[in-house]
Amino acid sequence: MNSETGSEDPFDCIFMADNRYHCEAYKEGLAEGTRQGLLEGMSHGRMHGARFSTEMSFYYGFACAWKCLLQNNTDAKSRKRLRTLEALAVHIQAFPHNDPQHATLQQEVEKVRAKFRQVCSMMNVPADFREYVTVAAGVSF
Amino acid sequence: MSWVKSVSVVSEDVFEEDGSDIILQNKEWNNNMSKRVKDGYRDGVDAGKDASLQRGFNVGYREGVEKMVAVGQLKGILSALQCWCQLQHPGSPAFSSISHLLQDVSRHEDRVIERMKMNVGQQPPASVGEITEAVEDLQMEHSDTGCGGGGCSKDNCCRKEQTPEEGPTALQTPCQSTTHPTFSAEESVEPLLKRCMDLVVELGLPEELLHNLQQLRSL
Repeated sequence: MNSETGSEDPFDCIFMADNRYHCEAYKEGLAEGTRQGLLEGMSHGRMHGARFSTEMSFYYGFACAWKCLLQNNTDAKSRKRLRTLEALAVHIQAFPHNDPQHATLQQEVEKVRAKFRQVCSMMNVPADFREYVTVAAGVSF
Repeated sequence: MSWVKSVSVVSEDVFEEDGSDIILQNKEWNNNMSKRVKDGYRDGVDAGKDASLQRGFNVGYREGVEKMVAVGQLKGILSALQCWCQLQHPGSPAFSSISHLLQDVSRHEDRVIERMKMNVGQQPPASVGEITEAVEDLQMEHSDTGCGGGGCSKDNCCRKEQTPEEGPTALQTPCQSTTHPTFSAEESVEPLLKRCMDLVVELGLPEELLHNLQQLRSL
């Protein structure tokens, strides 16, 4: 088995065969496991990333659109609303969206959700958009 | 596992005796080696999966995030417009136009998500570049650890560096055989963006909204 050198004790081949076979198979398994792990991880990651992005992007688009609609209003109420909308937009952009291992991701998401509810309450609109969009079942905010 | 077949040849060279004992010993030897090979393979698969799952998840996560940014924002913008319209101009025809478009955007979003769900558990589409990069990183990690973890006792027995193309080549196979459904034309958000921009113009809404929608096109 030590065909490369041919100079070693042939009994070594027998004694070490056990290890050798295990390791050869291990390497082959490692390559296959790595492939499987990457593909499985990517599938699941894609779903989680998509759900996260759907929600955060929704909030961001919502805040930006309202900002545009209210920007020319000068009354105190509108100014206050604009400040809250601005805070929501800034908060959404304040943390990385493409890092699922970001240390404070969950807290940031909760903060954004709370801010969004606050915005909805100020605008007198319901925070549950499933009422507005009946076909959007499965994507819950 | 071609090396298993070589066992019998090798053992004949070493034990030059005849008789049924040899046959039995050969059988036992083959069984033992076969078991070692199976164990080694299983250990390798487990170790490979453990090391690559998170990295794969991160790559997929980024892809999923990028894919939904435009449609998510568009849905948010239309929802805001719908609320605004309902508060400012209740009962106006603009409300139903916005609602229809919003429903179409939601359906589009659902389709994209559904397609991703179907891909979970199957061989997903993936960019070769991203996988290659991920594997290269993993290979660097493995070259440090070998098969260690209790698998091998002999020094350096598993520490030979893999050929650089070994991992990526193995990984390219599913990519080459799979189409890329997540980027098919029917899923393009562009027509929906166009409809929304037309609506904004039609309703005489602020210019900045158009600017925001324009930016989504480049995402």
